[in-house]
Amino acid sequence: MAQAAPVLNHSKPLKHGHNVKRHTGLMDWITTVDHKKIAILYLWAGGLFFGIGGLEAILIRIQLIKPMNTFLNAQLFNELITMHGTTMIFLGVMPIIFALMNAVIPLQIGARDVAFPFLNALGFWTFLFGGLLLNLSWVMGGAPDAGWTAYAPLSTSTYSTTHGVDFYTIGLQIAGLGTLIGGINFLATIITMRAPGMSYMRMPMFAWTTFITSAIILFAFPAITVGLVLLTFDRILGANFFEVGAGGNPVLWQHIFWIFGHPEVYILILPAFGIISEIIPTFSRKRLFGYSSMVFATILIAFLGFMVWAHHMFTTGLGPVANALFSVSTMLIAVPTGIKIFNWLFTMWGGQVRFTTPNLFAAGFIPTFTMGGVTGVMLASAPADFQFHDTYFVVAHFHYVIVGGLVLGLFGGLHYWWPKMFGRMLSEKLGKWTFWTFILGFHMTFFVQHFLGLMGMQRRVFTYLPNQQFDLLNLISTIGAGLMGVGTIIFLTNVFLTSRKPVGALDDPWEDGRTLEWSIPSPPPEYNFKQTPLVRGIDALWKEKTAGNKGMTPAEPVGSIHMPSATALPFVMSVGIFIAGLGFMFSRDDFGNAFMSFIFNNYIVTAIGLLITFGSMVLRSVFDDHGWHIEPEELEEG
Amino acid sequence: MTTAHAEAANGTLPHEPEKATLEGRNKVLAFWLFLGGEAVLFGTLFATFLALRNQTNEGPTANELFHLPLVAAATFILLVSSLTSVFAIQAMHRNRPAVLRNWLLITVVLGLGFLGLEIYEFSEYIRHEEFGMTTSAFSSAFYTLVGFHGAHVAFGIVWIGILIAQLSRKGLNVITAPKIYVSAMYWHFIDVVWVFIFTVVYLLGKVG
Amino acid sequence: MTTDQQTPQGGVKHRYRHEGPQKHIVVFIFSIVLTLIAFAAVAAGGVNASFAVILLLVMAVLQVFVQMGYWMHLKDKGHMLPILFMIGGFFVAGTCIIMSLYWVWWD
Repeated sequence: MAQAAPVLNHSKPLKHGHNVKRHTGLMDWITTVDHKKIAILYLWAGGLFFGIGGLEAILIRIQLIKPMNTFLNAQLFNELITMHGTTMIFLGVMPIIFALMNAVIPLQIGARDVAFPFLNALGFWTFLFGGLLLNLSWVMGGAPDAGWTAYAPLSTSTYSTTHGVDFYTIGLQIAGLGTLIGGINFLATIITMRAPGMSYMRMPMFAWTTFITSAIILFAFPAITVGLVLLTFDRILGANFFEVGAGGNPVLWQHIFWIFGHPEVYILILPAFGIISEIIPTFSRKRLFGYSSMVFATILIAFLGFMVWAHHMFTTGLGPVANALFSVSTMLIAVPTGIKIFNWLFTMWGGQVRFTTPNLFAAGFIPTFTMGGVTGVMLASAPADFQFHDTYFVVAHFHYVIVGGLVLGLFGGLHYWWPKMFGRMLSEKLGKWTFWTFILGFHMTFFVQHFLGLMGMQRRVFTYLPNQQFDLLNLISTIGAGLMGVGTIIFLTNVFLTSRKPVGALDDPWEDGRTLEWSIPSPPPEYNFKQTPLVRGIDALWKEKTAGNKGMTPAEPVGSIHMPSATALPFVMSVGIFIAGLGFMFSRDDFGNAFMSFIFNNYIVTAIGLLITFGSMVLRSVFDDHGWHIEPEELEEG
Repeated sequence: MTTAHAEAANGTLPHEPEKATLEGRNKVLAFWLFLGGEAVLFGTLFATFLALRNQTNEGPTANELFHLPLVAAATFILLVSSLTSVFAIQAMHRNRPAVLRNWLLITVVLGLGFLGLEIYEFSEYIRHEEFGMTTSAFSSAFYTLVGFHGAHVAFGIVWIGILIAQLSRKGLNVITAPKIYVSAMYWHFIDVVWVFIFTVVYLLGKVG
Repeated sequence: MTTDQQTPQGGVKHRYRHEGPQKHIVVFIFSIVLTLIAFAAVAAGGVNASFAVILLLVMAVLQVFVQMGYWMHLKDKGHMLPILFMIGGFFVAGTCIIMSLYWVWWD
């Protein structure tokens, strides 16, 4: 019997779970509020955008393969570099980070779901529709072309006359909303949903870095929200924030962008630190060296991360005092980061190290990321930065930390948790091929770019003249990019082949799992834990293993489990925002069609979109979701 | 949790009904987190305003524009509405839904009064002072900062209005109580932001 | 939850002592006084500008402090995390404001 009506008397829960309306197929994915399914949605959507961003990178590298190349024109090149950066950061790696957080965090802290399953779904759908809006620009009059930093005045309507930058501001605004929602959700989840006995200082490192990352999201994203609003108002309403002629100031944009933008870098890298801190102890069969110093270092990095933004702006002329201040604060970040590097090394030291695919990525991460960190300290020196600024040295630096750091971490994490997410082990053989092609390609692409930068090659130029000794290094760089592409294709092949295999991964497929997610089946049932586990120490499962126990000790008897209802409202709300965004973006256009001009120029489309979104919010508020229950007898069947 | 639900079914309420269930506690906590983010949002808007406050582009300056009596009236109204929403929560804690509803209604009416004054103020500036969004960097920053606050007030009015309707229909229980508590937090926060707006925008604008 | 006692009539006798409105009225009057001082200082004119800035900011911060403490219950126990996150928010907001005052324009 399919029953959709909410149960009004919640003191009498539904007797059986299957009385609740269950969606199948596409509707199941649209209406799901299960963190494990949302994780998979994040993974596919993030993977799709990662692929698009990767293709853009390949096109950029093909254009730069030789001097005076005419493969792309300058305009298209500008659009590609802008979209490559924006897509990779906001739509590629951040969603994949959220995929891993969603898949793993509730399991690691012994929770049945996140604190706000509805908001979790809403965060995903707003991200997806923001990303779709941004990428619609390719077929609706041209992509944004002012660089991923969208510096004014280049990004103002005077110099950027297409709708490209509008797609950037509105698309990122919507996607950013989703990220903020996700951040708040994970903060609340980690604060209130931990299993009995799991104190803060017993949380796995990945839970800690997720917690701190979410806090950075909470405090950094509102700044870019405002920045994007200001730029949108300048471009669409004719405001003067960045219009020098009317008293505006373009440097203000740079400040606001980087007050968000620098913490954003730590939003990206801290989860990778967490992933590495999970993989290395597992495959060294040792507990993480210096756990509390790791926690301390993570907090310190987050704190310092808000005080260094102006190191992106040394050349704007802030003056010697500000430049010195921001140089010193930037160099300080090397201290907690160094603590982490040494802790990982000391964890491996004397351990029974097994080089599985995840551990290869983790081991490759350490030296690669350290190189990126070292060039970071070089760039932190303000006088030297005047030479490095806007050269390929900077491009090499941030690709070392983001690709060599974060992307290697993500590949490691995906290989590590894949059996937990999908119940199937990825092929170790193909995984190792992925690692070697990817990391070789990576160093080929970006190591030479340090020298290109030092030799004076500017970033963001669409071509260069011959006979400046740039030719060979650029050729090597492009070949390396192709190799990274091959590595990614091997990974996709691995995913495809694995998906044809039957589900059969063990609860603890790596055999040395230390944390709670390895104490339950792969993939976990809808309710995760039949009985909430009792946590008796750091590395909860490992502690039980060393005590000779088969699994976790339950903290509660088997009982009825309350579950949230599936709902399409998050999807509908995001569609509403999407429509409102498009409507606002084209509100000043002449469509040459009376009807279209009427509905856009009078903000009717915007109003309809907002009505859909706010109407859905009202529905959500007025009709309470009492959820449904899974009864003990069904748990036995499962 | 079960206890709280049972009490709600009996028509009685626990002492702090907003925190009686895990869902309620989560909601209150997450709303605090959200307000932390809101602080940054308004902080950035204030920063923008402060950076551009003297960039009048030969248009009206703050000193020429602002009339203190109007601002004082708006301030007083919003301050009183913050007090009435405190009384609303006190009535909620005493399990007096009718009193609660009345205080919420008064809060909404005061909010509407504040919003009316703001709309009047903006329309005066636009019609008589030739001070619009596009006049100068100062005008853009002024309208964006104060307008964002006004939009928050408008959202709060609609929100509390919907909660009043729900209160009449569903009564006061462990599901409606956290919603009302959170909306009161929101309303206080709006008041706190206004304290900074009247100080930084209006009074310091007059001082120069 | 168990501290409420069931009376024979089925009503509930609370063991809690509900706070009265007095405290909040005091906070309200305090806020009004601070606001009046701020407005009066500006309306009267003739106050030294840099002194006025400090006076106005002190009035605003005091008022916000008291309202958040009493009206938003931040002074009550069990509010450690909210306080922590509000401090975080105000810290980043303050960073933005320092930026706008010192590092946007060339002097």
